Amino acid sequence: MNVSYLKGELLHQKRRTLASIVGLSIGVALLVITNALSMAYYQAARIPLKEIGADITVQRSGNVPKDLSGSVFPCSAVTIRDGDVRKIAALPGVEGVGRAVLLWIFDPHQAWIVLGIEQTNTVGPAVLRNAVRQGRFLEQGKAEAIVEAAYAHKFGIKVGDTLSLAKRTYPVVGILDASKAAKIAIANVYLPLSEAQGIAASSNQVQDVSPFDPHDVNLLFIRAESSKIPALAASLRTMLGKQATIGTPDSFLKLLGSLFALSDKFTVAASLIAIIIAALVAFKTMAGNIAERAREIGVLKAVGWTGGNVMSQIMAESVVQSLMGGVLGLAVAYVGAFFLSFMTVNIPIPWEMSPVPHFLPGGGDQIYKTLNLPVYIPWTLAAFAVLLSLIIGVLTGSLLTRAISRIKPSEVLRHE
Amino acid sequence: MNKADILTGKGLRKKYGDLEVVKGVSVSIAAGEFVCLTGKSGSGKTTLLSLLSGLEYPTDGSVLLDGKDITIASEDELALFRRDHVGFIFQSFNLIPTLNAWENVALPLFPVKMPGDEKRKKATELLARMELTERMDHLPSALSGGEKQRVAIARALVNHPRILFADEPTGNLDSATGENIMDILKRLNKEEGVAILMVTHDEDIAKTADRVIRMRDGEIV
Repeated sequence: MNVSYLKGELLHQKRRTLASIVGLSIGVALLVITNALSMAYYQAARIPLKEIGADITVQRSGNVPKDLSGSVFPCSAVTIRDGDVRKIAALPGVEGVGRAVLLWIFDPHQAWIVLGIEQTNTVGPAVLRNAVRQGRFLEQGKAEAIVEAAYAHKFGIKVGDTLSLAKRTYPVVGILDASKAAKIAIANVYLPLSEAQGIAASSNQVQDVSPFDPHDVNLLFIRAESSKIPALAASLRTMLGKQATIGTPDSFLKLLGSLFALSDKFTVAASLIAIIIAALVAFKTMAGNIAERAREIGVLKAVGWTGGNVMSQIMAESVVQSLMGGVLGLAVAYVGAFFLSFMTVNIPIPWEMSPVPHFLPGGGDQIYKTLNLPVYIPWTLAAFAVLLSLIIGVLTGSLLTRAISRIKPSEVLRHE
Repeated sequence: MNKADILTGKGLRKKYGDLEVVKGVSVSIAAGEFVCLTGKSGSGKTTLLSLLSGLEYPTDGSVLLDGKDITIASEDELALFRRDHVGFIFQSFNLIPTLNAWENVALPLFPVKMPGDEKRKKATELLARMELTERMDHLPSALSGGEKQRVAIARALVNHPRILFADEPTGNLDSATGENIMDILKRLNKEEGVAILMVTHDEDIAKTADRVIRMRDGEIV
């Protein structure tokens, strides 16, 4: 392979070189962008759970309380026994477990959504410590409360006030703004887990529907190895029975419904089309190139180039053009991904995970987590695109071997 | 083959389908001889040139070129043989449009394992002999017809061949430039002893050759 000849062909045959590079780059860009978009939807579906430091949520549904007064469990979140929690924590692939108790408290003059949380756990709603806007977060061993900002504003609650909940009193030590946080595990009031467990255990309405011991919970947040999430979800369903509601990124994807399904199917089809376009453009351009250059190839053979010499020169041209097409396509894809990352997507939150009583005004509405589509191109996808370009270049060059071998050195005389 | 012969073709036939273009031709060229091959269009002279130079295999017959039977060599063997023993000059120059003058001259050497500087030096020397030193870095599109043909002659000489095959080398040139090219070829023939087999229509050029072979309907007359 001769470098100056290669350079000369690429630089001086601009139309031919550009056609090949641009054609291939369109195919590669399409391939990369569609796959990046599909991955972005997968990533977006993980975000609501990731925002509370989890990959899986676990709830069990039960009966509706007979009387909506005092402290009750939502029917979508009844008791999960402490023994089951320990077994779940020991399942393979589980990296951490966060526990919580969600309660609806109907006091004579006010209704509260209360969430009991583990103050120091990094898995679960305690990640909301970053959302504290006034005062401080809950401290270990203290019976105190923090209040969600919108609720505090509505009812004029301030840091330093005392809340009376289920006949217990709690000083308000902080106000947190959960409006930008995940729509899962948000509440009006946050208490230490032990306090919420105490309220639930002493509530007849809770015990009537779902017997509850002071160490039990009704919400679990699990951090797990990504590859084991589907297997873990299956194990959890087996362990907790038919009434278990296991929230995984797939649950959110299913709710995205037709939009995601379309995107997912489109990705496969578009990827195939992109590869075919790229390969066809490369082949057509190179085949045209060989036909146009039959006389030139005849000259090379006439002056003593062997078939192998000619082949390696054409192969080098094909590979370099394909690589350039691949790199340009990748650059276009990066620009495309940058602009696509400004797109927003509404991730529907499964109703079971919504803490708001559905019988309250607006409680039955579908809630969404709105976020920017996290479009990015991982290095593996970028490397695959470049490798694919290289393979297309080599295949194209190889497929043209026969055409090149058919060109005889006497071509130089035949067209005189 | 006579000891002094550099090229001998015996009983050469070439058929394309049912059409026999060369019909049992035998011809010899002595080392250092300047032979012109003439005849009307379609008489088979260019086909005979391609058979004698190893650009094409005959349907029948044999060709001994510089002592080697080139009709039994493989295509790659033949390519290497052409590179080391034969030079070609064509009517339409056949320069590579994307290579400059010195690169076109060095084209036969590109696949040869030889330092790049040496290839350039050989090409530069030949271009100097053709009085084209100033045009070394020019692409063919920037050269006149005569300059292109001189680059083509330099390319044909880059491997010091003992025989040159020329197919109407002045056919695309005006008469003054054509004469200049003929002077160069005659000088190569007389001063360096390079044998030349040239196809031409031009009777004036043919007269200047050591010998003229005339063809009609695929046969020597």
